Order: sequence, then C-alpha cells, then structure tokens
Amino acid sequence: AAGCGEISRPLFSSDTHSSDYPTVEAVRMMGRLLEERSGGRLSIRIYSGGQLGSERDTLELTVFGGLDLNRVNLAPLNAFAPETVILSLPFVFQSEAHMRAALDGAPGQAVLDALEPHGLIGLCFYDSGARSFYNTRRPIRTPGDMRGLKIRVQNSDLYVSMVEALGANATPMDLSEVYQGLMQGVIDGAENNWPSYESTRHFETAPFYSLTGHVMAPEVLVMSAHRWRQLSADDRALVQACARESVPFMRQLWDARVAAARERITAAGVEVNAVDDVGAFADLMRPVWERFVRTPAQQRLLDDIRNMAGGADA
Amino acid sequence: MLDRFATITRWLSRLLMFIGATGIAVMTAIIGWQVFGRYVLNASPAWTEQAALVLMVWFVMFGAAAGVHEGFHIRIGAFVEALPVRIRTVCRAFALLIIAACGVALAIWGTQLVREVWSHVIPTLGISRGFAYMPLPVSGGLITLFAIERLAELAAGRERGRMEGRV
Amino acid sequence: MELAILLGTLLLLLAIGVPVAFALLGATLVAFLVLDLPAVVAVQRMASGMSVFSLMAIPFFIFAGELMHRAGIAARLVRIAEAAFGRSRGGLGQVDVGASMLFGAVSGSAVASVSALGSTLMPMMKEKGYDTDYAVNVTSTSAVVGLLIPPSHNMIIYAAAAGVGVSVGELFIGGIIPGLLTGALLMFVAWLVAVKRNYPRGEFPGWPAFVAAFAAALPGLMTAVIIVGGILGGFFTATESSSIAVIYTLTVAVLVYRSLSFRAFLEATLAAARTTAMVLFIIGAASAFGWVLAILETPSQLAALILSVTDNPILILLIINLILLLLGTFMDMSPLIVITTPIFLPIAVGLGIDPVHFGVIMMLNLGIGLVTPPVGSVLFVGAAVGGMRMEETVKTIWPFYGALVAALMAITYLPFLTMGLVELMRG
Ligand code: NA
Ligand code: NA
Repeated sequence: AAGCGEISRPLFSSDTHSSDYPTVEAVRMMGRLLEERSGGRLSIRIYSGGQLGSERDTLELTVFGGLDLNRVNLAPLNAFAPETVILSLPFVFQSEAHMRAALDGAPGQAVLDALEPHGLIGLCFYDSGARSFYNTRRPIRTPGDMRGLKIRVQNSDLYVSMVEALGANATPMDLSEVYQGLMQGVIDGAENNWPSYESTRHFETAPFYSLTGHVMAPEVLVMSAHRWRQLSADDRALVQACARESVPFMRQLWDARVAAARERITAAGVEVNAVDDVGAFADLMRPVWERFVRTPAQQRLLDDIRNMAGGADA
Repeated sequence: MLDRFATITRWLSRLLMFIGATGIAVMTAIIGWQVFGRYVLNASPAWTEQAALVLMVWFVMFGAAAGVHEGFHIRIGAFVEALPVRIRTVCRAFALLIIAACGVALAIWGTQLVREVWSHVIPTLGISRGFAYMPLPVSGGLITLFAIERLAELAAGRERGRMEGRV
Repeated sequence: MELAILLGTLLLLLAIGVPVAFALLGATLVAFLVLDLPAVVAVQRMASGMSVFSLMAIPFFIFAGELMHRAGIAARLVRIAEAAFGRSRGGLGQVDVGASMLFGAVSGSAVASVSALGSTLMPMMKEKGYDTDYAVNVTSTSAVVGLLIPPSHNMIIYAAAAGVGVSVGELFIGGIIPGLLTGALLMFVAWLVAVKRNYPRGEFPGWPAFVAAFAAALPGLMTAVIIVGGILGGFFTATESSSIAVIYTLTVAVLVYRSLSFRAFLEATLAAARTTAMVLFIIGAASAFGWVLAILETPSQLAALILSVTDNPILILLIINLILLLLGTFMDMSPLIVITTPIFLPIAVGLGIDPVHFGVIMMLNLGIGLVTPPVGSVLFVGAAVGGMRMEETVKTIWPFYGALVAALMAITYLPFLTMGLVELMRG
C-alpha cells in the first residue's frame, strides 16, 4: 500500500563535498537508479558543496524532515548516537579490507540501525579512507615526534583525546581558519585523508605527511525518518537497494580519487613518510577506547569488529 | 495599566541589554583565554570556541529582542515616509504585527527546535545542543511582548520617539 | 513561482517599513509554508547563520572601536593622521581609504574593517565638519578593498568551492594589484567629492607638534602593530586578533591613558551589544532567506538562462557580473560564493578564464554586494556606526559605487592585473 500523505517533490539531498566528489557522484548514481526503477516517481535533487549548511546543521534539518537525504561524517552523529563512536575510534580497523568487511557486515548494519531512534534511517556507508597527520615542521616517525606540536582537530572530544594521548597540543579550530593558521604558525599541523589534504590545499603550507592512518571512520548516507515513513514498503526497499548499489561504485571512484590526490601531492614536493611502528601509536591511543566505550551495546559492537580482524583479508 | 506595562517592559529591555553587554565582555575573555592557554599554558582549552559561539547567539537574540523595544532595528523608511500620515500609521501597525508574528514563529518553532535536539550533545562542552537554540524561543516570546506593547501604544496614539532605523 | 512569492513578500515587507531582519524572516516563513517544508528549519538556519566562528570578529572589533572612541584613543590616532595627510582637501577621506587598505592587510573581514575604522574615524570626520553620509560611504566602500588584499577568508571559501586545482596562495597574490587599484580609485573619488563639498584642508602643524602627536598616539597605534604582528607572527588567528584588540585597547585605556571611566566602559559595552545584535540578527535572518534561495536552485536556473541568451565571452562575463551584483544586493557574500562558484566557474573556465582571475572578480563583485541595500552587512554596520539611516547614506554613495564598478570592469577585462603577479610566481 502507498504511504499516506506522500509528497511528490524529489528527495532533497545535502552534501558538503563539492559536486565532483565520489560521495556526490555516488548519490547521483543512486538517483539515476531510483528514477529508472520507480518509473520517475522517485528522484533525488542534490545540493552539494555545503550550500544548505554544515554537516551538523543539515543533519538536524534531516531529522526535522526539512531535508530527505544527507551524506555526513560520523563526527556529527557522535553527538547523539554512541554506537557511531566505535567506528571513529583510533586503530579500530586493522586494514582497509577489515574496515570494508565490517561495514558491509553485521557491525555496519548495527550502527545504521542505531540511528533510527534518532529520526534517521541509515542507508549505507561510503569510504573516507585513512586519516593521517600532516604538519609544517618535521616528519612524524614515532609518537615522540608529535610532542609539543599544536595540532588542529575538529570540534570533537574524541579527536581532542586522541591527539592529547600522543602528547601533542590539541587545538580545536574551525576549518575555515586552518589554512591561514598553518601558514602563519598558529598551529603546526592537522590530520586528514589524502583527498582532503589535497582539496583544502593544506599540503601547500604543511608539507610533511606522515602515514599514521589512525582513523578510518567512514561517511554515511542517512535518510529522514519523516520522509521514509511516507514511502510504501516497496519504495523503501527500492531506496535501500539503490543506496547499496551505489557503494561499490563509490569505492571505485574513491580509490581513483586517493590515487590522484596522492600523485598530485607527491608531485608538489610534499615529504610523505611511513611511520616506524604503528603499534606504538595504537598503544598510546588505547586509553581513548576506554574513555569513549561506555555502553554494553558499544562494547558488543567493538568486540564484533575486533573478531572480524584476521579473517578480513581472506 | 499601559503605563505599568511600559515600566515593566522598559526594565526588561534594559536588563536584556545589560545581559547582552556582559555577554560581549565574557566572550572577549573566553577568546583571550584561548590564546593565553595555547601559548602560556601550552594546552589549548577545547571548550572555548563552542562556548563563545553559544554565548554569541544568546546575546544577539537578547539584544535583538531589546531592539524591538528600543526600536533600533534597521528598516527602509523611504517609501513609507512619502505616504500620508494616516496610511503611514496603518503601515506602522502592520509592520509591528509582522514583528509580533515573527516573534510567535520564533517562540513556537524555536521551542520545537530545542525539544528535538535536546538529546544532542555539544562537543567539547558536554551540554545539550538545546542550550544553543534556547535563546530563539525565549527571544521570540520577548519580541512578541514588546511588539504588542508598541501596538497598544500606537492604538492609544502615544507611540512616540520610537522609530526603527535611527540607531 | 515560489521564488516570485519569496522575493515579492520581501519587497512588500521592506516597502511598508518592516525592519530588514523581520522582513527577511517573514518572507522566509511564508516561503516555507508555500513549499510545505517544516518551519523549524528556518529557525535553525537563523541560529546557525549567526553562530559562525569568523563572525565573532564583528562584536570584538565593534567593541574595540567603541573603547578606542570613548577612551580618546581614536582621537589621538586621527590627530596624527591629520598631521600627516590632512593637507590635501578632504584628507581624512583619504586617510580613511588608506587605513582600510592597511586594515585589509590584517584581516579579511570587510565588516570588521568598517566597524573598527568607522567607530574610530567617523566621529573625527564629523568633528572636522565632514558630512556623516560622506564618512559612512568612504568607510563602507573602502572596507571592500580588504576582501582583495590578502589575507581574505572569503578567498579560502572560494578555493574550497572551486574544487581541486585552485591555490589559495595564488588567489592571495592575485588579489594584491586589484586591491591596490580599487583603493586608488576610491581615494581619487573621495578627493573629488571632498573638493566638490569644500571639505577642510588641514595645515601641517610643524615637526615638533607632529612628533608630539605621534608620541601621544603611539600606544593606540600599537593596536595595529599588535594585530599585524600577532597574526603574521603566528600568535593568533584573524578572529582571535579581534578579541586581543579589545583586551589591548582596554589595557591601554585603563593603564596608560587612564582615560576610561567605568561608566564609559559600560556605555561602550552596551553600544557594542546593540550594534552587534542588530547586525548579526540580520545576518541570521539572511541566512535563513538564503537557504530558501538555495533550495529553489535560484543560481543554477540563472546560469541556464545566461547560456541561452548569448555565447559571446565579453557579454557572458558582463551578464555574470550583473547577476552576481544583483544576487549580492539581496544575499551575503559567503553563502553566495558557495552557491554560485560551482555554477559560474565552469562557464568562465569554458571561456578560457583562469579560476584565480575569476575568483578575484567574484571577490570584488560580491564585495560590492556588501555595500548595497537592501541586504549589505558592511553598509549596515557603516550606517549604524555613523548613526545614519542606510537609505539616507546611499543617496550620495553613487560616486563610490562608480569607483568600485570601474575597478570591477578593469579587473574583469584586463586579466593581467590579476594574473601578472600570479604568472610571475608560476614561473
Ligand atoms: Na584582507
Ligand atoms: Na547587498
């Protein structure tokens, strides 16, 4: 049966990334599939580049039903869905394969399901690669090299604790001030994945990129429960299926994007280095886990992810 | 009756401006502390940025409400002032009605906003996101109150000395 | 249709004298009803439009300016500026433009510039017999120059919106000559208007008096040194510098000049709270309004329209400039950069225009929008600080618009102004 009071407008979808970013392309592809298979009844209108607001703001708007779809980072979800914190913990995934297997499997589904009580339907995860530290001073080879550096972090208790655990001075700062902050020396460094390190142009001013890969938190596509409830059961299944199908496409684009960013950054003369012993960083950051894993549901999720480790590469 | 009401709103408006002024002073201290912490203590306080931002919405909204009482909000008066006095008064009444309606809207939907995000936490502060939005419904109520008072004054033919846009 | 309702309601409300912030909010709420979107969104957009980190510079610089004014620091500054520049007719006008350019080299915020310099210079100009409208117009329009002269956080917003391949460093370099050119044109116009209005010509007081004035003003002058030095030296960000300016000014006023009574301090704080509330309340409402424009895809519809009209590059650039100017009259800068860059930049690149060049055009163009009614945050602040109604002050602002538009046309059609230094750097 059709949902009651169905709205005819397209699904409004927000993304803070630019129009050619893999997540935006993936949602665009999802929209094409949706339109084809629903015979034009369902479609998606994408607002990219953050034109409708920051991730946290638009996430709230999605909960209220002002927006229908939203591609966001996990950080703004951490503020109300504790399960999402687990995927953002440092070194919780051992490899990209482990991360993808966990997200495609039961742990990923558990996190998506945990959003529903908060008015959001979790549709799928998109990759966001591994975050590493970059700075203006020196290559980071051991945790000792972090000591005393002023590292910009997002406005997130988790990131503050992580950077402090390594003995650096965690400096929360708005992204809009980071480029100048690096240039003028207000901060010494920050952390992000390859594509963002490139697109923010931070590599121009902070030319040491050290591959710690400390966080592999994915991004997530959510739908407003308001709009979801107005869809028929068939349409819900259709939306869900199209979102799922956009994931492999997104990963393909993502891998290409990372490769391209890496190539451009290396060509620009940035000094990229592997860290000597990732375990040393992981050990120092372990207390962060204890601080942020508080509920039994979180603990179960963490155990499930850890148990998948080893087998992931098979 | 109207005089009594006017005395109350006058003091309320003054109180709001005073809170607003204190807000600016506190905000200065917060950001100053942020710089001090980073250089002198070598530990950046994590809470300063969010605290200053939340504070700013509070004092702006309080100030905006007081602005309805004092009549300092900017408006474009060129067209209205070209009109005959009678029509001008009607326009004034209508403008005050719009202000009151906006106040009601802020109060109603602002309350909904606060309730919907009450379970969300502001990172680095650890308090509910609701506190960041609470000034909107509060100020919405005050804006309505002040606009109604001015409408009553206008109806009594003594809304003098308060024209928007004079700063 | 929805767009017509939105704009129609706004214009109607503005025309009958509803304050700008409430007109914006009212039109937005009507649009939400028509679009059948939850109105709670409008309230949230209003709040988040105000709580932007870089906007904090507004209350701080207004506060610092109020303190400088009430503690007599501004008076000392202007005395030395007068001694130095006052000999040309209407010299304070040129001092104002020059100070705005210097301020622009410290900050990227035109609003901060107009609030800091306005509250310092405007009272002095009035005292010397300059008309308020002149003071407001010079200070407001010259604040726009700070968007071109690096640093400029709007350029960073543009680089992010433009996507891969646009360097902030190159944008900064590209803005220097256009910024100097725009400043020079404004100085020229400020002089022309001053001559026409027969503003006073100061006299050089002689070196001893000059040195005395300089010494008296030195602690106040150090504010600029501390801001510039603090930012360049990496002690604090541009936004933080604004709060440091307050703390420093307060320190100088209380400990050095001993010229600030508690009552004056209280008055300064109240005045700052009032101006800030007025300006940020409008910015919040404009943000909710802009959200509706974005949802209606207004900018991309405009782009489709342009390309259906002509394929002549000179005309297309002119049309893009006109559309941006038009949008700029209603909307604020940073949301416009974010919304229009992905639409217009590909068109411009298709015409062979360098993204750095286009970015600089965009900065000046949208900067002009900041000093045009009905929505122009810089003009709001300028008029507010000068204690004059916006519609009064724009009556005589036309020569200054002329200078800005002339600069815009030169920068648009003479690419080497922007790209000369950039290409030198590219090697
Ligand atoms: Na600047
Ligand atoms: Na404007």
